[in-house]
Amino acid sequence: MIKNIVVSVSGSPDSLMAAKYAICLARVMQTKLFVVYVTDFKVLGELLKSRIFVEAEARAYERDLNQQGVVFLDRIKKMAESKAVACETFLLKGSVSDEVIAKVQEVSADLLVMGEMKELTSRCAIFYDEGERIFRKSPCSVVMVKNHAMVDNLYKEIE
Amino acid sequence: MKLTDFLRPEFCVVDLKANNKETAIRELTSVLSSSGKVNNQEDFIKHIMERERLGSTGIGNRVAIPHAPTQSVNGLVVAFGRSINGIDFQSLDGDEVNLIFLLGTNPDNLGIYLKFLASLSRLLNNLQFREEFMAADSADSIIEVLKKHEKG
Repeated sequence: MIKNIVVSVSGSPDSLMAAKYAICLARVMQTKLFVVYVTDFKVLGELLKSRIFVEAEARAYERDLNQQGVVFLDRIKKMAESKAVACETFLLKGSVSDEVIAKVQEVSADLLVMGEMKELTSRCAIFYDEGERIFRKSPCSVVMVKNHAMVDNLYKEIE
Repeated sequence: MKLTDFLRPEFCVVDLKANNKETAIRELTSVLSSSGKVNNQEDFIKHIMERERLGSTGIGNRVAIPHAPTQSVNGLVVAFGRSINGIDFQSLDGDEVNLIFLLGTNPDNLGIYLKFLASLSRLLNNLQFREEFMAADSADSIIEVLKKHEKG
């Protein structure tokens, strides 16, 4: 029996669809929903190391990304509440895959929902893709959400 | 995300006329005006120059990546310029730059922008990639080089 669902969101349209689908699943299965947004410190660190960013700039991006995370999580929480789904949100920072997997383990999630992973352009991209890492490292089953129109309809159908 | 989804031949200048940092930035922002995504070119330039004042985006290896988030653009815009003679960008290594990638993003698109910069940075660590970019004889050739290296 599924008791806890985690959905990983990034603020992208794909992750919004993942959140909608997760809300639908949580409602139908009567489970609790945990929404995780991770500010990607790994990429900021990489850009600092390569000297594309200076320290003050990286900190400014960090603040902006955190602020976007707060706004997006608030939006998802309101969406969940409007569908009578119990929802807890987490704004984390660090490596996206590490933080999402840690949260999945912490809340003993039975299911992880994530947005669609786009086709990767190179073998090298596989190495750096955080979605790919989450998918492979997750200790529980993973649902990757596709077909925005279908998800939108499903979401609207739930009272 | 493919870099070639954003950098297109019409946004590549194979022989920049500019001979200093500011004119290079002006030349590259002007080629982006045809994208329809730049709603205020002067403001865009202002943000790029403000970022340069924090520290040069000349990152070494004769490469510069001037960039800034700004409300003056919609989505993510990318232009590339090559200076045969080199431009003084006050780079950290003291060398002039030949390869200039100019990026602007609306603050709403920070996630994609950071991923683009990280992917570009990885490619630019590759000497062969830089040499092929330097040797390309047309905007289309530049895009072909980018596509080839994106595939890895």
